[in-house]
Amino acid sequence: MLPACIGIAPFGLVCGVGAVAAGASWWSALGMSAIIFSGAAQILAVQLLAAGAPLAVIVLTCFVAGLRFLMYSAAMAPYLRPLPQRWQQGLAFLLTDQAFAAAVRRFGAGHAPREAARHYLGGGVALWASWQVTNLVGYFVGNLIPASWSLDFAVPLCFIALVAPQFRAMPPIVAAAISGFAVLALSGLPMKLNLIAAGSLGIVAGTLADLVKERWTRR
Amino acid sequence: MDATLKLWAVIAIVGALNYLSRLSFIAIFSRRHIPPLLARAFRYVPAAMLTALVLPMIVTAPGGGATMAVAPRIVAATVAGFVGFRTHNTLQTLAAGMLSLWLLQAAISWTT
Repeated sequence: MLPACIGIAPFGLVCGVGAVAAGASWWSALGMSAIIFSGAAQILAVQLLAAGAPLAVIVLTCFVAGLRFLMYSAAMAPYLRPLPQRWQQGLAFLLTDQAFAAAVRRFGAGHAPREAARHYLGGGVALWASWQVTNLVGYFVGNLIPASWSLDFAVPLCFIALVAPQFRAMPPIVAAAISGFAVLALSGLPMKLNLIAAGSLGIVAGTLADLVKERWTRR
Repeated sequence: MDATLKLWAVIAIVGALNYLSRLSFIAIFSRRHIPPLLARAFRYVPAAMLTALVLPMIVTAPGGGATMAVAPRIVAATVAGFVGFRTHNTLQTLAAGMLSLWLLQAAISWTT
């Protein structure tokens, strides 16, 4: 999990800088990173707060961006079923893109559930802790990093690292293509509503492509 | 609404919704069967949502969308995409993307 902790460091710094730009105090910035614990939601929240968007829009946008947690939760559920409920409730809080990516590999490799869960717990706590540290460092000294370093570019790169390996089958490519086209075509919409629209269109397109592909191969 | 109150409302509500999403199938619906169509749709949430998040961040450079500021970002993101596809490795993807961006930016400032 160490590579993931290093990988999210620039992302955490950018989130800290974003909290400053939104006018958050250091302890509310820490509250945000500790409780929300999702870089995508935090970035969207601080940008929408800075733009003066209404509470309902901010909450809805962050929720839609976090819909992928439902999918991660569904994928992790069979592996966590043998564990006591308290473990499940704790481990669920640590479910992030990076922890999920690492966990599916480990659980899928056929380790005993408890052993894999312990590994996931350790990795998740390490990710959570380094997320708080990098967010706070970003909050206090992030503005000292020269703009010419383009540190903000590390954020899309973190997501590219997650999404690129999925492009091995047709349906996810269709989902991404439609969603990507829509998010740019609808960029005129206020308050990042293009994100919700494009995400929904992409999910529908991917599902349809999957259904078509299945019918095609069955023939 | 007071700015601090609004910020903490965002933290509390988004935090709660995120946790409920994370908890959903692990604990709340763990005994329920997921409808097949929903399970199928779930598979494409990350590809669709992450792409929608990423593209605007690439094509808008901070401080304006001049072509010379955006073009290197698009090329560097493509390079990172190839590396991510081949390696499945976050650190290598990050390194490839940042290095190509810095190289391209240096080349542009050197030629102009």
